[in-house]
Amino acid sequence: MIGYSRQRRIVPYLYLTPAGLIFLIFTILPAAFVLYISFFNWDFLNSAMSKFVGLANYQSLLTSGEFWHSLLVSLYFVIGTVPVGLFLALSIALALMNNFPGRAFVRLSVFSPYVTPVVATSIVWIWIFNPQFGLLNGILHSLHLPQLGWLESPHWAMIGVVIYTLWHSLGFDVIIFMAGLSAISHELREAARIDGATRWQEFWAVTWPLLSPTTLFVLVVTTIGSMQAFTQFFTMTEGGPLSATTTVSYLLYEMAFIFYRTGPAAALAVILFVIIAGLTALQMAVTRRRTFYQ
Amino acid sequence: MSSQPSLLPRPRTLRQENRRRRHWPWWQWLIGAVLVVLFLFPFYWVIVTSLNSPNQVLQFPPLFLPHWQWVNYVQAWTAAPWLRYFANTLFIAGLTTLMVLVTSLLAGFAFGMMEFPAKQVLFAGFLAIMMIPTTVLLIPDYILLRDIHWLNTYWAQIVPFGASVFGIFLLRQFFLSFPREILEAAQLDGASQARFLWQIAMPMAKPALITIALYVFIGSWNAFLWPYIMTSSPSVQPIEVGLATFLGTNGTDWTGLSAAVVFTTLPVMVLFLVAQRQFLAGAYAATGGVKG
Repeated sequence: MIGYSRQRRIVPYLYLTPAGLIFLIFTILPAAFVLYISFFNWDFLNSAMSKFVGLANYQSLLTSGEFWHSLLVSLYFVIGTVPVGLFLALSIALALMNNFPGRAFVRLSVFSPYVTPVVATSIVWIWIFNPQFGLLNGILHSLHLPQLGWLESPHWAMIGVVIYTLWHSLGFDVIIFMAGLSAISHELREAARIDGATRWQEFWAVTWPLLSPTTLFVLVVTTIGSMQAFTQFFTMTEGGPLSATTTVSYLLYEMAFIFYRTGPAAALAVILFVIIAGLTALQMAVTRRRTFYQ
Repeated sequence: MSSQPSLLPRPRTLRQENRRRRHWPWWQWLIGAVLVVLFLFPFYWVIVTSLNSPNQVLQFPPLFLPHWQWVNYVQAWTAAPWLRYFANTLFIAGLTTLMVLVTSLLAGFAFGMMEFPAKQVLFAGFLAIMMIPTTVLLIPDYILLRDIHWLNTYWAQIVPFGASVFGIFLLRQFFLSFPREILEAAQLDGASQARFLWQIAMPMAKPALITIALYVFIGSWNAFLWPYIMTSSPSVQPIEVGLATFLGTNGTDWTGLSAAVVFTTLPVMVLFLVAQRQFLAGAYAATGGVKG
C-alpha cells in the first residue's frame, strides 16, 4: 500500500465494488442459477411450480438425437472456422509482413468486416448466396460450372455460414498474428538465413516456434467464439435446412426461447459451458508442451 | 534495430533488403489486390444492390453497376421506425460505454496501483469471468430481469454490460506502468485519491480509455442476441434488432433491405475509418495477456 493510512484499508475493495457487483449479479450468480435450474423441471411462467428432477434433464439430453446432432454440427463449424481460419490468417499475416506500398490499405480492408454488425453483413451474404439471383451462382454460371443451392441446401448451408464467418472475423486474427510476427526478433531470423536456411526452413525452425504463444491465443479465442456463434445462424439459416446448421448454441436458443423447455435448455447451457472450458483447457495442455514462452 | 559501427562488413538485414528493393515483386501486389477485392467486394455489392430497381436486382447474371435508384432508400427509411432505433442505440451504447469507463478506471486503479489482501485471487476471478459465455447466461438472466421488472427496458441492455474484463485488464496494465513518483507527488501536494484519479491519471490514460470506449461502443451498437431476447417493443430496441425485424417482414425486398443495411451500418464504418489506429491498437492490446 502506497502511503495510505490504516483506516483506508477498505478503500481498494470500494474501487472494485462497482465492477464486482455487476459481475456478481449478472454473471456469477446467474451461472450458479443455471446449474440449479438444470436439476428441475422448471416452470417458465411460475417458478414456484418447478419440480426437482435430479439428473433427468441431462439424461434426456444425452439420450436424444438432437443433442448429439447439434454437437456434430458445432464440431463441423469449429473445424471449418478454426483450423482453416488459423491457416488463412497466418498466411495473410505473413504476406503482409513485407512492407510494400498500399500495405496499410490492404490491412485495413481485411480488418474492416470485423467491426461490422453480424445482422447487417450476414444479410449482404444471404443475397450473395441466393441460388437464383446471387453473385456466387452468377460467377459459377459464367465459368460454366454447376450452380449450388448454398444456404438452401442441407449440404452447402454450413459451408456458406463458414465462408461468411471467415470473411467477418479473419481480420482480427490477421492483426494478432502480425503483432506476434513483428515481436519476433529480426536477429534470430537473420541468423537462420545467414546459416543457409531457406525461407521455408527459417519459418519452421524460428518463426513458427516463437509464434506459438500467439497461435495458442488465436486458437483459444476463435474456438470459444465459434462455439458461441449465434447471430449468423439466426439470420442466414435459422438452423436449417433440415437442422443442418443447428449448432449447440442455436439448439439452446430454440429449446429455451421457442419451446420454453427451460430445464433441459439449462442442462444444455451447463454442458456448453463445460465443453468450452474443456476445449480451452485441452488446447492449453496440448500446445503448452510445444510452446516456447518468450 | 541499432546500427552500431562495426569493423566487419555486416550482412544485409532483412529490413535493409526490403528497403533496397525499389520495386516490389509482382506477386506481392497481386496478393494485396486479391485480398482487397475479397474483403471489400461485399461492401460494394450491397451498395450496388441498394441502388438498383427491384427488377434489375432480379436479373441473372447480376448487374455489376448501380443505377442510382435513391427511391429505395426513401422507401426503406419510411418502412420502419429507424430514427427511434438509432436514438435507442445511441443512448444504450453511450451509457454502457460511460459505465464501462468508470468501472474499469476504478478497478484498474485498484489492481494496478494498490496492495491489498486477496488481490491476485480477485484478479484471477475477474479474468475467469471471461470464461462464462453469454449464451449460457441467457436463461438465468432472463428470469432475473423478468423478476426485477427490467424486461423490455433500456436498463436490461445497459447495466449487465456496465463492467468489462477487457477494460479492467487494459487499465490495470496502464496503472502497472504508471510512474509511482507522480502519485507520491500528488499525495504530498495533498490531493485526494479521487482527485488524483480524475485530474491526473485519467488524462494520462486517454489512449487506453479511447480504445476501450470504441470497442464497447461498437459492441453495443452491434449487439443482437441479448436485446432480441430481453426486449419486445421497438420503443426500446436497438438498431440491429430493428434490422432483423425488417428482414423478417421485408425479407424478399432485396433493394430495400440492402438500403437499410447501408444506412444502419454507415455510422459504424465512419467511426471505424476515423479511429482506425485506435481499433488496431485495441486488437493488439487484446493479446497483452498471452506473452508469458
